[in-house]
Amino acid sequence: MHPPTKFSLRNADGQEMQFPPQGPVLLALVKEDCETCNLTLPLLEAVHRATDDGLDVWVAVQKSDDIPILKDRHDLTMPLLDDDALDLSYETDIDTVPTLFLYDEAQNCTLQTFGFDKHEWREIASESMALAGRPDGDTAIDWDALPVQRPGCGARNYEPGVYERLQAIKSGDLLSRLVDLAAKDDIHEFMYEQGYTDGFPVVPPTRERVWQMLQGTSRDPQEEVAIMPPNLAPITVEKIAINAVMAGAKPEYMPSIITLVEIACTETFNIHGVLATTMGATPVGIFNGPIRDRIGMNYLHGALGSGNRANAAIGRALRLCARNVGGSLPGGTDRATQGGPHRLTMNFAENEDANPWDSLAVERGFAPTDDVATLMAMSGGPATIADERSRDGRGIAGTLAMSMSCMQDPKSPMVDTLVVLSPDHAGIFGRSGWSKDDVRECIMEETSVPLKDRLRSEDAGCGLPPEIVERFGGEAALDMPIAKFRDKSNIILVVAGSAAAKFSTILGGWATGVYSTPTSSKIGV
Amino acid sequence: MVTQILDPTDERVPIKRSLTPRPEALHGTVALLDISKPRGDVFLDRLEQLLHERAPGVKTRRFMKPTVAKPAPEPIKQAILEECDFVIEALAD
Repeated sequence: MHPPTKFSLRNADGQEMQFPPQGPVLLALVKEDCETCNLTLPLLEAVHRATDDGLDVWVAVQKSDDIPILKDRHDLTMPLLDDDALDLSYETDIDTVPTLFLYDEAQNCTLQTFGFDKHEWREIASESMALAGRPDGDTAIDWDALPVQRPGCGARNYEPGVYERLQAIKSGDLLSRLVDLAAKDDIHEFMYEQGYTDGFPVVPPTRERVWQMLQGTSRDPQEEVAIMPPNLAPITVEKIAINAVMAGAKPEYMPSIITLVEIACTETFNIHGVLATTMGATPVGIFNGPIRDRIGMNYLHGALGSGNRANAAIGRALRLCARNVGGSLPGGTDRATQGGPHRLTMNFAENEDANPWDSLAVERGFAPTDDVATLMAMSGGPATIADERSRDGRGIAGTLAMSMSCMQDPKSPMVDTLVVLSPDHAGIFGRSGWSKDDVRECIMEETSVPLKDRLRSEDAGCGLPPEIVERFGGEAALDMPIAKFRDKSNIILVVAGSAAAKFSTILGGWATGVYSTPTSSKIGV
Repeated sequence: MVTQILDPTDERVPIKRSLTPRPEALHGTVALLDISKPRGDVFLDRLEQLLHERAPGVKTRRFMKPTVAKPAPEPIKQAILEECDFVIEALAD
């Protein structure tokens, strides 16, 4: 707490009172529903009456409505100041009432205390009388009748909700424009009308909520995190926090959300293209490391779906940042032909315990103890691959390969995929002694078909143009095997979900490594 | 009741730009920009042929973005600006 040096508050009669007054002053801050405040107010009144005009006794009350109550209850004549706005309490940063400050003639704070400690209060009362030039005994306080000690009560400025409101308004952390609502506006309808939402309701980003959200990161609210395409708008930590509130995030998700924004805005990830493409791609976030449990991410039942706040809100926050700050709007620079529900949010954690191999993060050069986010651009929504019969790696790899052979269209090569293996399928690979590369190589081989089968035909217009044959060396190349995937590294394997059944998931990429490169980063603060 | 919220947008006021005055007639050089989408070249080939037939005095210059996934690189935009009087861009498929 900091003894105030200057302030102005109204008294019970509505008159403005400037602090400090001339001469010595005893200043107290109290609230009505505090037993210790009620114990001590008669003592302050006794000092006030005994010191007469030799010393001012001012009492700041933390709620307007309590002033007449306290005045009547204790028959008070000393000035009661209205600190209902808690300006003085905030500046003084008191956390307990009553709090007491004694100032000498030169306005130096010489003594202070909080709660009730008889020894300290007696010392302050004596010193007050001395400063007023009055005999100590004139207060007529029966100190022997008072308890030795009573704890104070929590100050109103530290009550839940009040503290956040004061911080939001007074800390100077928040510089975003305040949008005023008319009295009859429905907040949710208003936010839809302003175009702030992704189609679902959002949590209104009040100053209190945004300030609370900022407590989840140690980064400066005004720090510019990235330049967000497509409008190339600077995005600050504060703007991320606003959109994180709207997405339904908790403060502890902030470092993850900031990291995803940073990754998305890199040249390699190219969020501009990901969100603008007519193919309808979207960033998919995958998390590794202890943070998964620390913030309660789901990597078990239904990991890729609904029902988990962290999974849903982190991915949604990134999308809302791109929409509201980046200006990516469907039909505007977002040219997705159809899109898909995964474009609302697609974010999950890897089930590292069920992974027989290195996790995605370890595979990409991080330590198992690192908290890592990886972002990859996927244009195809999750498609379930069922294989409940295979009992060895070869069987599952074959099922995956056959399922993948029609990705995008049946003929196109050069595609890429994210494979989310269920623990059951991953476990079979592990027990069969298959490495990740074994799986990839099998898929490459099993999805390879002769070049002639990848050419456009009368029956299907998809596939490669016939003239491409020349580039492969002419007719002799027609039987050359061409894999579905550009390279085995374009088959990304992770493990998620529960040990419920033998179902895995594939997602189609978006020219991975060409248009957008999967990018990983340690999660910051 | 919520009476105030913080603005989630970038808060920037869009810069107002007026269109360059439209010329009365086609003249000089027309840039034909292929954004690397399938069949963009087919469209531009036909357009170039029609331009040469119907506006014989008009020259054409072909440009191509290196990737469909990113905005046109600055040198391409600069070359079109400095060397051409018109630009036709073949968008999407």
